[in-house]
Amino acid sequence: MKKRGLAVLLTAALAVSMFAGCGSGSGSGGGKENIRLMVWSPSEDQSKDSGEWLQTMCEKFADEHPEWDITFVYGVADEASAAGQVAQDAEASADVFMYANDTLTTMTDANALAKFGGKYREEIESTNSEEVIASLTKDGELYGVPFTTNTWFMYYDKSVFSEEDIKNLDTMLEKGVVSFPLTNSWYLPAFYIGNGCTLFGDGTDESKGVDFGGDKAVEVTNYLIDLEKNPNFRIDADGSGIAGLRDGSISAIFSGSWDANAVKEALGDNMGIAALPTFTLNGEEKQMMAYAGSKAIGVNPNCDDMVAAVELAVYLGSAEAQRAHYELRNVIPCNTELLEEEAISGDPLVMAQNNTFNYTSILQPFVSKMNNCWTPVENMGKGIRNGSVTHDNAAEQTESMNEAMNSGGI
Amino acid sequence: MAAKTKVRSAKKRRFINNTIVHVVLAILAFIWVFPIIWVILTSFRAEKGSYVSTFFPQSFTLDNYVKLFTDTSILNFPQMFMNTLFIAVCSCILSTFYVLAVSYCLSRLKFKLRKPYMNMAMILGLFPGFMSMIAVYFILKAIGLTEGNLIKLALILCYSGGAGLSFQIAKGFFDTVPIAVDEAALLDGCTRWQIFTKITLPLSKPIVIYTVLTSFMSPWLDFIFAKVICRANSDQYTVAIGLWNMLQKEYIDSWYTSFAAGAVLISIPIAILFLFMQRYYVDGMSGAVKG
Repeated sequence: MKKRGLAVLLTAALAVSMFAGCGSGSGSGGGKENIRLMVWSPSEDQSKDSGEWLQTMCEKFADEHPEWDITFVYGVADEASAAGQVAQDAEASADVFMYANDTLTTMTDANALAKFGGKYREEIESTNSEEVIASLTKDGELYGVPFTTNTWFMYYDKSVFSEEDIKNLDTMLEKGVVSFPLTNSWYLPAFYIGNGCTLFGDGTDESKGVDFGGDKAVEVTNYLIDLEKNPNFRIDADGSGIAGLRDGSISAIFSGSWDANAVKEALGDNMGIAALPTFTLNGEEKQMMAYAGSKAIGVNPNCDDMVAAVELAVYLGSAEAQRAHYELRNVIPCNTELLEEEAISGDPLVMAQNNTFNYTSILQPFVSKMNNCWTPVENMGKGIRNGSVTHDNAAEQTESMNEAMNSGGI
Repeated sequence: MAAKTKVRSAKKRRFINNTIVHVVLAILAFIWVFPIIWVILTSFRAEKGSYVSTFFPQSFTLDNYVKLFTDTSILNFPQMFMNTLFIAVCSCILSTFYVLAVSYCLSRLKFKLRKPYMNMAMILGLFPGFMSMIAVYFILKAIGLTEGNLIKLALILCYSGGAGLSFQIAKGFFDTVPIAVDEAALLDGCTRWQIFTKITLPLSKPIVIYTVLTSFMSPWLDFIFAKVICRANSDQYTVAIGLWNMLQKEYIDSWYTSFAAGAVLISIPIAILFLFMQRYYVDGMSGAVKG
């Protein structure tokens, strides 16, 4: 009897605390609507050293909307990991957050990303290029407010390579040491795509599958085997590229805007930034094609004050906010009006990233099956590095990579 | 004469044997200590970046340690360190108590569920703890423990809650303490609690120390639960999450050497505990105190 009493008591306690946990309301006072908005961003956006971009922008937003009495709650989640957090538990996640577009399906599968429509969609579409909008569109619906593009390009030492040299990778290899992340599957497909290989049709049609097979792919594999053996070529892994730039043993690397400051420190005034070069395959020039994506501000469909959340997202992706982001943290803007301004378009980093995005990249597919495409490519790179992929078995190995990319995963 | 040569050759043989053994041991010791030395060297390295071409740093500096404690705008290491220490100390106290109490009960008290409980604990212990991770997260959320400072409480509950299942070693030790001692105490009018605190525990110092050590280390080093429960609350991060963050694409180049410094720092409390309690630890692992 005593034991049963205890059990009842425990159950009751649990029930009470559960109700307490769920209870949250929004009251209103003084004619203003009380709103609580939770916002997630990477920690640099909130740090004092880089100007508290997020706090500043949110306060400005609050000033522009006197009809709301907004309380902001800030959390830290960078663009790459936010999707995982939001998909894990959308209800307890931020109302407004930043995410990288390749994680879009993770969240739409979990019903954790709101669609933008009506005047908001028009506003976003009018200030961004079609490519950027396409990177956030799935089944005709727009899922975020883009604020920057995300891709990789080339850093080089101006004292080693001339403007002419950097147009072709093979020319560069004759003049200096080049490092490329051959074992990283975000970078390696650039060669294959450059020679006509495709992923899911134009990147959105899952049924078309991956086409990394046939002669065109085998040619590239053979090219890469020779490239790896070139005495002026180094594989960039675990930060060896940037270390090589520092001690002068390497003169060009491939990376993204996140390494800009480190490269600047290493090369000083000799720092050159450019879009991707071409490479010479059987006497023909082929353009390397990077994966490109975007970073965007998303809204949680579970939030209490949808209008305020969407307005805030649009504001954080506006030209004004992007300019502040660029000035404070060097986040490269993607707003078309901003890109026309001289102060911004004169920056070689901005130019390189945008040129890569517009001309030497393909939209990184974000269909679910894309998840199967990373490991086989990485294994190909590793096989080339350790010599298990040779000219003799290149055709076979390329075919098995293609097969693995098209298979259902594990 | 013959006897003398025999002695000498025996000596010689022993010398050769010893040399071989010591050389092998030296090589093994080198292999084991090597990564630790590397981390310590890296933590004092002045060159930046995650990759260097030389094993020994070209120049040494203390800046990596200074940066950990002064550059708090992006990754607030001092706060993470205090969070972790607080959580580890609290869950250490709680789970030590749980483990010892459960072990004592299973060793000394006779009750119907004793055998079924032990079997159940055995089977549950076969599953990895993080299997229940997401369920634990949603339960904690339902109780409202996943926001603000309550996250610390949630983590303490997580780390100490399962302690009652890992009683095997301590129970084995208590079993070796003669039951006659307990009976004598009972005759003298001791309660069970008094026997536990005044007789069994003082006789079982090694295993108490062992329990304290293990139950301090698991929350101190845990990553998975902390990551799932802390989510975006950066002010509640533990050291493990902080160190993990330092190795992300955006930070690795500038934080790598500080990461090594952080790794050295978190091993200090464990090292102190071990040095302090080492002799008990060995006793505790090797078996019982006789009567």
